[in-house]
Amino acid sequence: MPPSQPALVSLSPAELSYLRSTLAQRPPIRLDATKGPLDFRSMRAEHDVLPGTNGSARIALEDGTEALVGVKAAVEPSPLSAALWAGHEKLTVAAGVDTHRGADNLHSSTGRGRDAWVEMSVEIPGFRDDDALPVFLAAMLRETLLATGALTDRLHINRRFHWKLCIDILLLSPPLSYPLALLSMTTHLALLTTRLPALKSENDEDPMFDDDWDAAVALYPRSSAAVDGPPHTDKPPVIVLAMVVGENIIFDPCKEELAVADGVLAIACASAPSPSDGARLVGFRTVDPPSHLTPPGVPNAMNTATGGVAPASSADALTQRELLANSGVWRPPRGGIKRALLANMCDLATAKGGVAEELLSALQSIEVG
Amino acid sequence: MEYFSLKRSSAADRGQTNLSSKVYVRSTKSGKVQKIVQELYLRQDIPCSSNLCRACLQIAPTDYKEKTTPFVLSDTPVGSENYPNGQYLVPDTNAFLTGMDLFEVETAFHDVIVLQTVLEEVKNRSLPLYHRLIALTKNEGKRFYVFFNEFRMETHVQRDPGETINDRNDRAVRKAVQWYNQHITEAVAARSKKSKRIPSVIMITDDRDNLRKANAEQIPGSTLSNFVAGLENADELLDMISAAQERREVRSSKPEVFYPEYFSMSKMMTGVKAGTLHQGVFNVSPYNYLEGSVHVSAFDKSLLILGRENSNRAVSGDIVVVEVLPQDQWKAPSTKIIEEETLNKNDNPEAEDGETIISERERRALQDEVKRVHSEGTEGRPQPTARVVGITKRNWRQYVGHIDRDSVRSNSKSSRVQQIVFLVPMDKRIPKIRIRTRQAGELLGQRILASIDSWERDSRYPVGHFVRSLGQLESKGAETEALLLEWDVQYRPFPKTVLDCLPVEGHDWKVPASLGDPGWKNRKDLRDLLVCSIDPPGCVDIDDALHATKLPNGNFQVGVHIADVSHFVKPNNAMDKEASQRGTTVYLVDKRIDMLPMLLGTDLCSLKPYVERYAFSVLWEITPDADIVSADFTKSVIRSREAFSYEQAQIRIDDKSQQDDLTNGMRTLLMLSKKLRQKRMDAGALNLASPEVKVQTESETSDPVDVQTKKLLDTNSLVEEFMLLANTSVAGKNYEAFPQTALLRRHGSPPKTNFEELSNQLKIKKGLELRVDSSKALADSLDTCVDSQEPFFNTLVRIMATRCMMSAEYFCSGTQAYPEFRHYGLASEIYTHFTSPIRRYADLEAHRQLAAAIDYEPLQPSLQSRPKLEGVCKNINVRHRNAQQAGRASIEYYVGQALKGKDIIEDGFIMKIFSNGFVVFVPRFGIESLIRLRDLESPEPDAVFDAENYVLDVKGGVERKVELFEKVRVRITDQVEESTGKRKVKLGLV
Repeated sequence: MPPSQPALVSLSPAELSYLRSTLAQRPPIRLDATKGPLDFRSMRAEHDVLPGTNGSARIALEDGTEALVGVKAAVEPSPLSAALWAGHEKLTVAAGVDTHRGADNLHSSTGRGRDAWVEMSVEIPGFRDDDALPVFLAAMLRETLLATGALTDRLHINRRFHWKLCIDILLLSPPLSYPLALLSMTTHLALLTTRLPALKSENDEDPMFDDDWDAAVALYPRSSAAVDGPPHTDKPPVIVLAMVVGENIIFDPCKEELAVADGVLAIACASAPSPSDGARLVGFRTVDPPSHLTPPGVPNAMNTATGGVAPASSADALTQRELLANSGVWRPPRGGIKRALLANMCDLATAKGGVAEELLSALQSIEVG
Repeated sequence: MEYFSLKRSSAADRGQTNLSSKVYVRSTKSGKVQKIVQELYLRQDIPCSSNLCRACLQIAPTDYKEKTTPFVLSDTPVGSENYPNGQYLVPDTNAFLTGMDLFEVETAFHDVIVLQTVLEEVKNRSLPLYHRLIALTKNEGKRFYVFFNEFRMETHVQRDPGETINDRNDRAVRKAVQWYNQHITEAVAARSKKSKRIPSVIMITDDRDNLRKANAEQIPGSTLSNFVAGLENADELLDMISAAQERREVRSSKPEVFYPEYFSMSKMMTGVKAGTLHQGVFNVSPYNYLEGSVHVSAFDKSLLILGRENSNRAVSGDIVVVEVLPQDQWKAPSTKIIEEETLNKNDNPEAEDGETIISERERRALQDEVKRVHSEGTEGRPQPTARVVGITKRNWRQYVGHIDRDSVRSNSKSSRVQQIVFLVPMDKRIPKIRIRTRQAGELLGQRILASIDSWERDSRYPVGHFVRSLGQLESKGAETEALLLEWDVQYRPFPKTVLDCLPVEGHDWKVPASLGDPGWKNRKDLRDLLVCSIDPPGCVDIDDALHATKLPNGNFQVGVHIADVSHFVKPNNAMDKEASQRGTTVYLVDKRIDMLPMLLGTDLCSLKPYVERYAFSVLWEITPDADIVSADFTKSVIRSREAFSYEQAQIRIDDKSQQDDLTNGMRTLLMLSKKLRQKRMDAGALNLASPEVKVQTESETSDPVDVQTKKLLDTNSLVEEFMLLANTSVAGKNYEAFPQTALLRRHGSPPKTNFEELSNQLKIKKGLELRVDSSKALADSLDTCVDSQEPFFNTLVRIMATRCMMSAEYFCSGTQAYPEFRHYGLASEIYTHFTSPIRRYADLEAHRQLAAAIDYEPLQPSLQSRPKLEGVCKNINVRHRNAQQAGRASIEYYVGQALKGKDIIEDGFIMKIFSNGFVVFVPRFGIESLIRLRDLESPEPDAVFDAENYVLDVKGGVERKVELFEKVRVRITDQVEESTGKRKVKLGLV
């Protein structure tokens, strides 16, 4: 899966080892000792920061990473349906019947959206736009947004036209920790506040829009209290990052915590169809943890300076290290997460009152506030 | 954690609000939709422009000469009953939209503050009204001041969340009025301690909610009608308020809907793009007001629109979107004359109940039509019909007409009761207009200018309002002004800015004596040439003069000298702009409306005899066989030896005793012109005819005395030939120099379908064949269309053929391919207008281009820009057509006046035949008039119409067959129509 960022944490093997053992305790003690395993780092967020965009948001984390997202929408003709429209025209002219006969079943079906309607670019300082990290981040974020198909369906205007959404993501600071979750949250917030000009035309006509921006409709409308239940809104999916250390599951790890992770999981969640179910799992991916690249500690037994014997070959060194696995000397984790842990992580994320639901409602309330 | 917001939040810098922004959605033509954020930088140096205020005078921005623009609003504005200290008016958008005619009245509405908010809203709602408003703000006497309230910090208003744009704009108006009141009070206080005369600033609005809020905020406000009611001659002024905004609640509770609703704009545009709907200009047949046609680019022939319901509130001239009807509703065009006044005589303008969209009689008239079409079967060739589904652009203008006498309930002059009356427009294609007036009694029998305001779905006729009265019907002044207005001829005197462009010497201007004068630079001295001019008698604006001399090699030097107008009218000054607006001089029977001020047209430019004048000369070397050896173009100075009229010139040429050089030169010209003409004819030039008559007027009163057909002499064609030659030569030269931007004139070859009917008529009635493959073929076959019994028959056919042709038009050479340059009528590959710069703007432009082509002076950039030239062409094409129509209408009116009270029997020819009448053309007077069957006998005789043979067999007491091209004796009388008070020439069969 995507390689982690090359920016390495400058911690000594001893520090890494210490960190790992504190995190592996039950309950774990995190680097910020005030936080529990499910707690997120504090963040500052604001929306509508870019007046020229249809929607925008900025989130800054306490460690100084900061992301800015702008969403712009443009009207585009749908090429496939254009042919359909032309055929439809010919038919009706020949038969001399009402042109808009087929107009009734226009707004019924879902699945009218195309994945190409959403375009995403990620820019990270110090990276070229074809470097692996931005490309992978963009792919993962986009994949998540498109996973449910709910977003592209919203971009449908009529059979001949659709909105094309361009999401520009800009990381304002160097990528101190793995920025996936931050970018996803910022994108989520930007999409929540995105508004599209109100449509005035009907059916399959060339679209015409209200020139009053105040009349623009939200891409994700906040439903007013529905008659048949508590208010519920569909929201764009968001990715939360979780890591495993030993048997412990820790959400929203910081840079240093990631350096000792056994495994890292990106969990994409969307709001559940009914509010009682917490959140819905849209997808997940394992992320190669940066801990793989940390330098291993040298145990006394292998250190000539402390009277040990240096291993003769690298194969020999590996064998020796395996044997000393539980000695407390730091060695990069081999990776892999147990199935039970995996299931546990997903449960924690999506359960009623779980991490994802909490996050979604927190982001929603930013929009309200 | 330190955190800075990226937003420029309004909360953060409350103290310093010189920055604001405006957000809206812009849809571009190419279909892009953009969110636009505009930042506004608020200022405090926008003056109030009241002469009462000294503070603003100090802060007002200055121009580069350190001068501020003079303040507009009077320091002693007029007062009224409620506001005795004087008032400044601040109308809101609707006040301007409904009452623009009021604001234009000279006697009232001074000291008006036009807010930027209002101005922008007017611009969005109606562009024509916006232009009128801008014109008003430039009119110094009216004292209209545009106050940029949105840019001034104190009056800027931020839109509140959830507030509609309208509410926000209303609030902006109230805020501005409030600020003005406060500001003026302070200004007066600063001026003198004692002054008690503080003018009020009053908001004029018809919005009740706005007024209520204004009241609550203690802002003076009034409705437009209340305000007007307090003025002098309020009755007349109140009539001028547009009826469009009139609230529907007055009407009966459940309005009946007569017309189908229009499609939405987006639906129409999509349809037009997709080719299912079509867009074009709606034209109504002058013979049948229920039949319209729309020419659309998709088809060669126009689409027919039959009946009121299908024409769906379109008025002739509107740009409409139509939908083709299914084939079973296609019909042949009508052969019946249907006039609104005869069918709907008894309509009551006030009645709303039981009003039907198609009156019973209309329905019957249409049914007869359908029957006729059906009985004809395939022969009648039903044409595609269409219905109007929407209107892209209303081209409503002001219409001249008169009040329908029958529609007036009480015609006592003293009665001031408001009533609704019908205005019958002069233009038969325009429907009656429903007008509310308090002065019906006075308006009867007058020519009236009115405009249409709206046409709702529940009203059978459009609703309009009175603009002004032109005077008594049939009075010369009123009728002349009426036709100038109808044809949109600009007849106001030249403004001062234009007159300022004239040479300061005035009539004393002379060609400079010294050859070193800059005026002589690159100018040839042609004063020795024996030049003379030949024009209609009494002509004062002499555009052209000619000469011919024999060269030693046996060839001739021939020169055409054209008035050098471009020397006096420099591009883009006020005079040039005015001339380009007017486009052409308009000749009426008793009046000439000049394109250029008199000083130039009739004196400085005019090539008057015996004086030296600047000219632009075309000099040819021509062989005795009239072949052109070479052509040369130069600016020159000439001295015309004589100004002849056509007749004088003819007499002089014919007089063998005259053997001087001048006369011999004219003989040479005549000889050459005949050869040139023959060549042209051989090339396929058409000899067309139009019914031209001349009205002789008494010199003092210009009352018409007699009507004559114009006589054509050899000298007429002498001048014409050389002018054509000059135009063609110049066209070639200009095109060579400026292949993209030469201003040329073309005459498209008419599509064959145009001649179909005429050729069919000739074949059936006379056994003649009309070949229309080329202009040459047409010219030849027109020559064969003779009737040995009737010499006029050929002319009649030519007149009818002319009507089948396209009209010639100016164009910019880059817009057409070279083969399209052809002038069909003249059989010339390329053509332009060069020879009448005093009276045509196109010629003036051609002069400038030619001057640049011969390196006399550099070409003005505006003449090199294609879009600008295209705009000029478009305008002069329209002006040219209008001028012709106005001239014809003027002759028509005077012919009518000349025939007043007479009873003459004359020969006439039948030009067109309908199932219930026919059109007779009387060559003697050039009049064309309709004779309906019911005019022949009463009750209307039955008749059998044989459309295939163009014969109308009239039964009853008349018992007579009438056929196309037949020569008939007609009795010409005049008659004042009772219902309308309109004088009409009336023809009757003898």
